[in-house]
Amino acid sequence: MSTQDSGYWYLASYPKSGNTWCRVFITELQRLAGEETPEELNLNRDVETGAIASSRLWLDDQLGINSCDLSFAELDPLRGRAGESAWLFAEGERFHKVHDAFQSLDSRGRPVVSTTGCLGVVYILRHPEDVAVSLSHFFSWPLESCVNFLLDPSAALVPSERHGGHQVRQHMGRWDQHVRSWVDQQQLPVLVMRYEDMLVKGPETFLTLTQFLGLPDDPSLVNQALLNTSIESLQKLEDQVGGFAEKPKGAERFFRSGRSGEGAQQLTLEQRQRLAEGLPAVMRRFDYEGVDKA
Amino acid sequence: MSELTTYQHHYEAFGLNILSDMLLPELPVHAGTDLSPLAVHIAASNHEDWPPLVANEHSTPSLQMALGDWRLELEGIGWFRAYAGETLSYERWDDSVSDRDVRTFLVTSGLAALLIQRGALVLQGTTVVRDGQAVMLLGAPASGKSTLACCLQQEGWKLLSSELSVMNEQGLVLPGLQQLKLWHDSAASLGLDWAQMPLVRRGLKRYALLPPEAEVSSQAAPLEMIYIISRRDNRKDAQESDIQTRRLERQAVALLRLRNNAYQPRVYRGMDQEANLFLQASALARRVPIYSLQLSDGVKPMQQALEKVDLLAPSSLEAKPAVELDASAEAQEEAR
Repeated sequence: MSTQDSGYWYLASYPKSGNTWCRVFITELQRLAGEETPEELNLNRDVETGAIASSRLWLDDQLGINSCDLSFAELDPLRGRAGESAWLFAEGERFHKVHDAFQSLDSRGRPVVSTTGCLGVVYILRHPEDVAVSLSHFFSWPLESCVNFLLDPSAALVPSERHGGHQVRQHMGRWDQHVRSWVDQQQLPVLVMRYEDMLVKGPETFLTLTQFLGLPDDPSLVNQALLNTSIESLQKLEDQVGGFAEKPKGAERFFRSGRSGEGAQQLTLEQRQRLAEGLPAVMRRFDYEGVDKA
Repeated sequence: MSELTTYQHHYEAFGLNILSDMLLPELPVHAGTDLSPLAVHIAASNHEDWPPLVANEHSTPSLQMALGDWRLELEGIGWFRAYAGETLSYERWDDSVSDRDVRTFLVTSGLAALLIQRGALVLQGTTVVRDGQAVMLLGAPASGKSTLACCLQQEGWKLLSSELSVMNEQGLVLPGLQQLKLWHDSAASLGLDWAQMPLVRRGLKRYALLPPEAEVSSQAAPLEMIYIISRRDNRKDAQESDIQTRRLERQAVALLRLRNNAYQPRVYRGMDQEANLFLQASALARRVPIYSLQLSDGVKPMQQALEKVDLLAPSSLEAKPAVELDASAEAQEEAR
């Protein structure tokens, strides 16, 4: 599992940071380059929606047990080894969405995702103020809860232990811990992409992405794929399929505004200050302006 | 020392006489003293004494397999080995590991591997019985099999086998595990006193329900139909209290659905039993009607719907809107 053709890639991000846009772009680029079906992109058919690394079916198959019989704390140290045979990855998709942090509090310092056969990771990050607003629409949560979530060292998706589910817990931790877990890990090559650069410097940013992933990098193809996956185009495609499969029940739509800067407009001064004080080093490192207390 | 003294516990499940050095309350107790040739032995053993195994390409870091040999290593819990369809061995990771921790995996993955070694078709499902007729509920973990089985018990059905279901050559489903595992939310919604129920394992909010004798069946029963369960897609328009079902008419589709609901298909491959799996699943698909069943999300709607339908008369619950919805699932199955 070491060649460019047979390996796989992770597209890792904190939720609501541009991961889906990135996956849709890759699918569209492959379609334009003739590597995929020539028909127009269909969100619910062509875009992998599940996160395989946290799928119970995948873990049950790899571990040989019913993973519901293990606690999340017991599962986390085992998850990274689950893909050592790379069996499913070899047969399936090459680009895998991951929202987990690279390690969890319970994983004993081990990655929670398989690294065997993995060619690298694209880590996508977005201004935490804007993530808070987007999370609020996605989960139908008040903004205050979203700010608390971003600052919570034990934040996780699927955190309930009171009922089963098809995904296991995805530990994310505090937003800056999530970023550092992926960006500073030494086991996989990493390309860091800021959502804001994807918006403002699209052609250049996505060209770098295609070169990192070994995809067709003809600038005209990249630009066309970008045009076809603009927020307006994605909203139109979402309408065409009558709702994107990743949209939660309470949310009006998945592809909402896509803009940057909404956090500065919609969060209170106090909420912005809390984010800036809670996440200072990583916000500075990636040029995210915050509001300091006077 | 007689064999019965070494193996203090004697059970009869999945058509096997099971002699165990560990108490396994999930299994029906063997009533007599007859030790037929189908005896299986479960005992503690030092895993370092197990012979080296040349694992094949279907093995994973946790699961090492060769023809007739299956090994499971679960960090923090223990080592397990099923060998030649006759012996199930285990060793605890350390002294902090409880009997409950060990037997959770021993009677599920361990017994399933052993049964596969014996050539059995082991399906991932729970079987319930009424009036001597069995209905099998298949589905992925967390699809709602145990919750549905518990609702059916409240309607007078009896539990024959949970988690794993196995048939004999005469097409009778055999008594197997007789413990339901319920998540906290399901137990609470079913009105069970979850605070008094034992945990499946320490650290899980999942409870073990050992139904009283009156609510289980110890008699093998003919299989009348199979339901493959899924949860309703919330994006679709449907009445919350409906249970929707549709017969899988096409043999190829029914066979694939059965294959996908075999217990751990990787284990069949790893022990060179995949052809056997297909042959038996194919025969079953020809013999027994198979239906897809879409469950309401939530216990109360499920209970309400079950009051109005009869799982032994599926034509009474075939709903027209389900056709289109399930056709897409069918197409996806075919594409796999």
